[in-house]
Amino acid sequence: MTALLVLMFLLVAGTGAGVVLAREPRRQALALAVNGVALALLFVVLRAPDVAYSEIAVGTALVPLMFLAVLVSLKTDRPQP
Amino acid sequence: MTRRTRLILAGICSVLIAPAVVVVILHIPAFGHHPLPYGDAINRGTVARRHVTNMVTAVNFDYRAFDTLGEELMLVAAVTGTLVLLRGRRGENVSDRPARAPDRPVCERSEAVTLACRIFLPLIVAFGIYVVLHAQLTPGGGFQGGAIIASGTLLLYLGESYRLWRRLVRSLLFDMLEAAGAIVLVLCGLGPMVRGHAFLENVLPLGQSGALLCGGLILVENAGVALAVTAGFILLLLEFLEETRAAREDEKS
Repeated sequence: MTALLVLMFLLVAGTGAGVVLAREPRRQALALAVNGVALALLFVVLRAPDVAYSEIAVGTALVPLMFLAVLVSLKTDRPQP
Repeated sequence: MTRRTRLILAGICSVLIAPAVVVVILHIPAFGHHPLPYGDAINRGTVARRHVTNMVTAVNFDYRAFDTLGEELMLVAAVTGTLVLLRGRRGENVSDRPARAPDRPVCERSEAVTLACRIFLPLIVAFGIYVVLHAQLTPGGGFQGGAIIASGTLLLYLGESYRLWRRLVRSLLFDMLEAAGAIVLVLCGLGPMVRGHAFLENVLPLGQSGALLCGGLILVENAGVALAVTAGFILLLLEFLEETRAAREDEKS
């Protein structure tokens, strides 16, 4: 296991912990995107560029975006005070 | 359960699991030393047999194309189900007027955002098309490229306006494209059977290895997947963001 690989694993673990520790939903969606980038970097280091592509497109762009959209919708539906 | 009890419980569990994790990590085979023969077999003969240089594409769209067909139909079913749930009573009527959240100020778009989106939108869509077209040569493929194109269209919303995005990205068109993608894939399966070959057998001419047109049926299947994924994700984004509209009385036409 090279130093680069160890670094990537730590990065994934760190950003993954960040997703859990971020308690505010909007921040959590963004933390999920950051975790997706870290995972994609790990996949590139492990020479799986196809999986990295999917991870970037789905894990970093689409899924957090849908979370954000749903969060906005929850805010919109709240009755006016 | 109080926070304290939970933390104690988590601590005990971590201590119990930690030795097992360490043992497993120490016994992971070294990078590149996998015990199974399939990867090596694919790497050895695929360029000669299928004339493609991306082994992942060869597996996805040829050797295990049946799995891809199943995945694709599953994706179409999932998207359809989500659309039915989200559209609900509203049906297919969409409005191009954005919702306003009551407790949030409306900010003007800065010119920098508009400029950045105008620069990046064509680049991202072109890159997505590149990834789709070069599935058989370099990493990437219909799924990845489709997802890139679909998320790229959102820059219209970000940089221009909700209204323009809804006007340019029509739901009906992508409904049809998604179905077309699934149909292309099914026809790729049934087509060879007409000539007496097996389901999904690669019967088209394989072309020259390394050229853009190589791999025979792989190209057609890849195009079908790209269509279905692009349209499916665009539809999901349209419906999810449509949901962010509050249905106000004065907005109904």
